[in-house]
Amino acid sequence: MSLSDKAKLQFMKDLGFPALASLQKAMRGKRAPRKANPDFGPPLKCTARLKEIMTRHYYLARFAPGAKPVAWVTSGAPVELLRALDFYTIYPENHGALCGAQKMGPELCQVAEDEGYSADLCSYARVDLGHMLSGKTPAGKLPKPDLLFCSNNICQTVAYWYKVMAHRLGVPLVMFDTPFNYTEISQDDIDYMVGQVKDMIPVLEKAAGKAFDMERFIQVAELSRAASELWGQCLETMKARPAPMTIFDAFVHLAPVVSLRGLPVAREYYEILLAELLDRARSGIGAITNEKKRLMWDNIAIWYKVRDFSELFASRGMNFVAATYTNAWAETIQHLDMSQPLESLAKTYSLVILNNNLEHRLNLMAKMVSEYAVDGLVVHSARSCKPYSLGQYDLKRLLSERLGIPAVVIEADITDYRYFSEEQALTRLEAFFEALEAA
Amino acid sequence: MSMPSIPSRAEHLEAWRESGGKVCAAFPAQYPKELLWAHGVLPVEVWDPPLAATRAPGHLQPYICSVVRQGLELLLAGAGDSVDLILFPHTCDSLQNLASLVGDYLKPAAPSLFFYNPKAPFKAPAREFYLDQLHALDRQLAGLFGPRAQGALEQALEWSRALAALHAKAYKMRALGELAAGAGEFYAVLRAGEYLHPTALIPLLEGWLAQSAGSASAGERIVLSGVLPGPPDLLESLDVLGLVVGNDDLLSMSRRLLTSPPGTGEPLAALGEVFLHMPPCSTRGSSLEERLAWIKGLAGQSKSKGVVFVEVKFCEPELFDLPELRRGLKEAGLPSLVLEVDVNQAAGGQAATRLEAFREMMA
Repeated sequence: MSLSDKAKLQFMKDLGFPALASLQKAMRGKRAPRKANPDFGPPLKCTARLKEIMTRHYYLARFAPGAKPVAWVTSGAPVELLRALDFYTIYPENHGALCGAQKMGPELCQVAEDEGYSADLCSYARVDLGHMLSGKTPAGKLPKPDLLFCSNNICQTVAYWYKVMAHRLGVPLVMFDTPFNYTEISQDDIDYMVGQVKDMIPVLEKAAGKAFDMERFIQVAELSRAASELWGQCLETMKARPAPMTIFDAFVHLAPVVSLRGLPVAREYYEILLAELLDRARSGIGAITNEKKRLMWDNIAIWYKVRDFSELFASRGMNFVAATYTNAWAETIQHLDMSQPLESLAKTYSLVILNNNLEHRLNLMAKMVSEYAVDGLVVHSARSCKPYSLGQYDLKRLLSERLGIPAVVIEADITDYRYFSEEQALTRLEAFFEALEAA
Repeated sequence: MSMPSIPSRAEHLEAWRESGGKVCAAFPAQYPKELLWAHGVLPVEVWDPPLAATRAPGHLQPYICSVVRQGLELLLAGAGDSVDLILFPHTCDSLQNLASLVGDYLKPAAPSLFFYNPKAPFKAPAREFYLDQLHALDRQLAGLFGPRAQGALEQALEWSRALAALHAKAYKMRALGELAAGAGEFYAVLRAGEYLHPTALIPLLEGWLAQSAGSASAGERIVLSGVLPGPPDLLESLDVLGLVVGNDDLLSMSRRLLTSPPGTGEPLAALGEVFLHMPPCSTRGSSLEERLAWIKGLAGQSKSKGVVFVEVKFCEPELFDLPELRRGLKEAGLPSLVLEVDVNQAAGGQAATRLEAFREMMA
């Protein structure tokens, strides 16, 4: 790491970004305010802070090389190990979601496909490969990684994808292999994962150019735990009727717990978000103005449709109050126990929804339906995500039978809208709306 | 040479059951079959059952691969109730979820077991974990079928060594052009190992290899890569077009059939070495560098001039590796062709046309 690069990053933190943020704020102030949609309650005040945090993160990223070791990380990887070594982290999945929301998915996917990557592969991966090959991104510029850090607790796809990136970029890949929990997690599983962590630390130390400090790791893990717990509490405010935010809001406000977990800024952000949500719940301020039906979402967001769906459902008086996806960054954090730091880290990351059997998912969803007083279920069958999607047809059937709630499956993709048929989705949703309204 | 007489799957299963044997439907790809043999259980592999998919589409999205779809179709058609065990090794996301779908939601009469294969690089924790997995599977099988007989695992390892040697011999003869058998025959004989017990398979292979020594057909030699050899019409096309498979890098074949357990040491530890020393594979987390070097080596050994990738549609582990493998092969002067197939459908005339054009390009 060079002193001049460190000084440049510090300068951008202290002066460069604040100046840019002021400029952007001034420009926003000149724009005519968007016309309020009567179907929605007042927008969350925190959104402006969220935008600032994430813009800052991506902006400073371009000054990180040379000042800090840079790692590209999967969303489910135990990032606390990297934070303890002061890595600057980029989350390609978060970047993929950003590209999806900006409707850049097909363009970047096409770049990857022109290079020979099948259109049947995960579109987060294709977007990322397309970005790597073309340099195109709505985030300005992403820094080249010194290291890739991947865990297959969310899918095997990330292992294949990161392997390709490691090969093309010529950087080391560190893989955290989490045995799938077909039944209960076993001590053999935990020992295996702990053994891997111990083995990977010297590799991380080499890339970081510094020694791993267990005290520092524990501090980071505590920050991570706090952020995830706060995020869980934010989600729980949606048990209120009317719910103070929608899942479409949560898809966006999820970004810090995914990308900045283990940093003070994530904890601080969720403290203010939670305060605002609790205040709204106490005051009876709903995310939508006429909450008649409460819904649950299964799977990753359809990023290019978040706004359209948000408006469509709000116009029918329907609010999404729970989702398996947003819940994933809160549901296992109780396992993190600093009296057994590595063992509990292994459990926390291994027990996430996508590394767990379908019985677990069924029971979790049934519990959420009950706790959040859910009236109906919308299942996104995401072409990109096999571990999230395979089993959904039966999951929908079983939940409907067990709980007597209407459910619908929408066939789509997370970022590549070439695989989304608006007409087919609306036809299915109309039938769902009818069933829900008749219930 | 004439094709040897191979007992059909149904005939062999019937005879096995009549002798009091148990049957396990084993899903792809790598699993310790020796342990099943040692417990008196015959693993019958489920790669591409030739069934019309009528029930499975009600449970699976259209973007799930045909190996998974056909496997589920077989279980739903009654196999799930007629076998004594279903084994799901961890191979990919889709097979992982299929295991859970079957075990948690569909619940056929046969019990389901899951076997997690650690992912490369295989450092000390992975080796220990794999051994733990073997012990756990051994206990589970004992719980279902009783403890294995004394010496049964040692016997199974002996069979495994004999089979690995015979497979290696077949591959070497083919690579050197000393096997007078086309692709259709070669794979028909070797794929009998997906259901024959070693006591039937070993003499079959011995007899076939003795009979088949001779010159291979003339033609352009290629390496076949992918998941499975097939569909059958594609193998026929290779033979008809004069494309000679000199070697293969197929998941169901050379990536798992040629590795022999060591002759010494504790039997379960020896079995562990088989998995850890298998050739590079997309499903085991092997790096692209390893895979590329391996395929180039296969081409070199067999004097092959090109590589044909026959990929199952939607197979993520294979499809992710393809562009970099093809680029590396091209740099090494090895052209490649990609054909995407569904395992239960004919590759068709278009595939044959593309193979023909590929042969002309190599000539």
